[in-house]
Amino acid sequence: MSNAIFIVWRESVEALLVIGILQVWLNNREQARMGLRFLWGGVAAGVGLALLLAFIMLRVQTELAGAALEYFQIGMMLVASALIIQMVFWMRRHGRTLKRKLEAGMEQASSRANWWAVAALATLAVGREGAETVIFLYGFGMSRTGLAQLQFFAATAAGLGLALCTYWLLSRGGRFFSCRTFFSCSEIVLLFLAAALLVDGVDRMIGLGWLPPLLDPVWDTSALLDDSSVAGSLVASLTGYRAHPALLVLLVYLAYWLLITVFLRHSRPSQRKTA
Amino acid sequence: MAMKSGQRRGRLSWLLALLVISSASGALAAELPVYHLTIKDGTFEPAVIKVPAHTRFKLVISNQGPGPEEFESLELRKETVLAPGVTRTVVFAALRPGSYRFFGEFHPETAQGKIAVK
Repeated sequence: MSNAIFIVWRESVEALLVIGILQVWLNNREQARMGLRFLWGGVAAGVGLALLLAFIMLRVQTELAGAALEYFQIGMMLVASALIIQMVFWMRRHGRTLKRKLEAGMEQASSRANWWAVAALATLAVGREGAETVIFLYGFGMSRTGLAQLQFFAATAAGLGLALCTYWLLSRGGRFFSCRTFFSCSEIVLLFLAAALLVDGVDRMIGLGWLPPLLDPVWDTSALLDDSSVAGSLVASLTGYRAHPALLVLLVYLAYWLLITVFLRHSRPSQRKTA
Repeated sequence: MAMKSGQRRGRLSWLLALLVISSASGALAAELPVYHLTIKDGTFEPAVIKVPAHTRFKLVISNQGPGPEEFESLELRKETVLAPGVTRTVVFAALRPGSYRFFGEFHPETAQGKIAVK
């Protein structure tokens, strides 16, 4: 039963991180409150997407449709990754100047575009992992009867409760720590999440034979941290860790952090200037 | 004139894209070696699948239930959720010789298997 609790929590933790951090950010800025509507609209659309995807996954049996589903999942990963990166830098740029710029009417168009990006990100974050949770709950709920079914739903409720606790901690985190500490931490969490999505997308494309692995694997660290273990796969989905990385994945990962570091360096002085 | 040739180029690249897609799906439909994997009661049958090295192949996974399962392997770069009663076909890129583990995410204690590539 602890299995069900953990799976429900695990499947939702990524979406919770993204939504929680965005919510804290938007809540703390009066002029950004409008974005909250887009955030919750995106979450609602994400639940719809999860149900739709789950329905398709239940029905899809042909090879072609299965392949199409896989391409769609890769697309969702890469788009979500790009949206997270865009959001981190947007938050960085507008952390202090949003109010003034909105008042001056300078940022109307760009912030409207950004609110749509917030909505899209929330939709993808919820829809992607949510579909698996729906199948998990539906499949197990149907396969059990009587007491076992009750126990299963209790475990599911516990998992959801745990997820909400995580979310609560996250949104309170904004108050426990200073704003600055919270946001530099959440920035790192989001950037690692985007890296994980990117690695996953590239890995899947190698798996399909679309991209060459170059050298596969470069090393094997499964003795140190096995990505097939429960803890290892959680680390993998939050950071992009691989026990047997292909050279291409490694290069993409390094290039990603190199570019991000350059952009972070670049965006810091301008923030000071406008502050 | 310039616009026309631009249009033509546009159409050409569409044609090219279509060609690439159709040849890719053609490759999909080509006769790849097929292997079968059955999921039952949170276990895999067979637990070891032997496949030749450097060859693309298909794995037909069917979940006989009860309960859903997620076939997952970061090593093999695959992840697919199967509701009970669902059969899915997964195409694998050519693999180097070795042993690649996969597991069922919803029954990690019992659902363990590997693909042995020789």
